[in-house]
Amino acid sequence: MSISALISLAFTALIIENVILTQFLGICPFLGVSKKRSSAVGMGMAVVAVILLAGIITWTLYHYVLSPLKMEYMQTIVFILVIAALVQMVELIVKKISPALYKALGIYLPLITTNCAVLGVALLNIRKDFGFAEMLVYSLFIPLGFLLVITIFSMLREKIEMAPVPKAFKGTPIALVVAAILAMIFSRFGGLI
Amino acid sequence: MDILIPALVLGAIGFVLGLLINIVSKYFHVEEDHRIEKIEEMLPKYNCGACGYAGCHDMAIGLLNKKSIVSQCKPIKEEAKVALMAHLDQLFKAEKEESNN
Repeated sequence: MSISALISLAFTALIIENVILTQFLGICPFLGVSKKRSSAVGMGMAVVAVILLAGIITWTLYHYVLSPLKMEYMQTIVFILVIAALVQMVELIVKKISPALYKALGIYLPLITTNCAVLGVALLNIRKDFGFAEMLVYSLFIPLGFLLVITIFSMLREKIEMAPVPKAFKGTPIALVVAAILAMIFSRFGGLI
Repeated sequence: MDILIPALVLGAIGFVLGLLINIVSKYFHVEEDHRIEKIEEMLPKYNCGACGYAGCHDMAIGLLNKKSIVSQCKPIKEEAKVALMAHLDQLFKAEKEESNN
């Protein structure tokens, strides 16, 4: 696989096939932890770490353990097991390294386990028949797209807090409207490649 | 026999991951208030959220800071409830005596 193809794949994963705004995966933390920029960035970093590690481990397991043993049908169970264990470890590490972030993320940190973006990327890596380099690029740039969008979205939400929004739209409703407009903007990137 | 191999492989993967979590939890252990640990142990540990907290751990912190009461916990068994109340009473009494001295 040539370098230019990898760069094009990275760009596709980052913007054109953005996890949140075009694939609609990982919406729960996107709406739940985007009220403050600091916790949104923290969440994004945690997701980057989990998806990258989960991608590498699940890809390796699939190609060197599941595939030779002809138990590809077990991939979902094995992947969920790996993801759950990884999230548990990330939680322990975050608790030790940054108690403030641990508190800010609260219940959303263990919920990365059920963040469909993580399992989604692990399964897409297999379904798209990626080699190691492609898998690495894809599982790095998909969560980076998550980080990018959740950061933009949290900055917008911080501004909206101050804006004179009609009472019925305060909070989550206006956030969903903003998310929809963002998704429309991102869908226009589709014509780039 | 074919069914055994996937079961064994899955078990092995689970075992390795469990071992890793154990190592990480030892290495990244955070020293916490032992009183919270003790109270959490006496709660049902379902993490059901019926008390209004995100989990039993937060509820235990609330109990220790007198921000919540034991009957907020819905699934707790009657004996466990009595034991927990006695334990809390004892804790608070000891605290009071300490501050008096």
